[in-house]
Amino acid sequence: MSETNDHILDPKHWVEKYGDYLFNYAVVRVNDASKAEDLVQETFLAGLKASDRFRGESAERTWLTSILRRKIIDSYRKKYSSRESSFGENEQTVFDADFYRSEEPFRGHWLEGRGPNSYSLLPEGELEQAEFMEFIKLCMEGLKPQLAAAFSMKMIDEEDSETICKELGITPSNLWVMLHRARLKMRDCLEKKWLQ
Amino acid sequence: MANGPGHRMMVFMSKRMIACDEASFLISFREDQRLSFKQWWQLKMHLLSCHLCRKYAHQMGELNHSMNIYRDHCSDEKCTHHLAPEAGSRIGKEISRELNAK
Repeated sequence: MSETNDHILDPKHWVEKYGDYLFNYAVVRVNDASKAEDLVQETFLAGLKASDRFRGESAERTWLTSILRRKIIDSYRKKYSSRESSFGENEQTVFDADFYRSEEPFRGHWLEGRGPNSYSLLPEGELEQAEFMEFIKLCMEGLKPQLAAAFSMKMIDEEDSETICKELGITPSNLWVMLHRARLKMRDCLEKKWLQ
Repeated sequence: MANGPGHRMMVFMSKRMIACDEASFLISFREDQRLSFKQWWQLKMHLLSCHLCRKYAHQMGELNHSMNIYRDHCSDEKCTHHLAPEAGSRIGKEISRELNAK
């Protein structure tokens, strides 16, 4: 047990005290339970190794969460740089043939059936809201890794664009196109899964 | 009809106005950045004439709202995901092993 200024580290009880919290934090961001478990384990082990550097300025959970956050960003970066999920040339433009017409003079107009059908996406009751959250999770799982990384960092972690670009090694223009495409796909998925 | 006044008007307008792909991009872009006057004006003109993009703009606001709820929904008090007992036990053993090795 390491003792510090205001807070102490108690690794024997980490799983019991913070296991669910950290797992939840990770699974919401990486959308993969098995990957989230691995990240939690890596976080605890990294915490143990770095315990000498724990100054006690933050609570134990906050400190572990900051380690986990770093690990999640590393996992985004790994996914982002993997060959299978590389950011393709056709993904650097606003145009997406899955959603818009390509023939002149209607190029760029919504394809029939791919534009918004309903005015609202949101559920009305509280019971429905819990179900809707599951659909958000499902739709995020369906995003390509690089889009999911940018979308999670922006929408869940509320990171600023500069940080996301720096962490993922992309330009602001790439980021805006990625966020646009992620939002397009999320909207489309939610409307299909939730409203139909 | 393909070369009639309606078609020619459509061609004329399509050359001067942004299409739905650019409009939907600007709707997303304005969530993160301030639009230039030209972008703002192009989007405004497009939204006046396009009911699908008006729906899209509305849904984007809802998506942002939903993502905030999703993040809060997963805060510790309302934790909806739980570490599987086997995983917890495995991680506990790894921690004990590391502690004993120290």
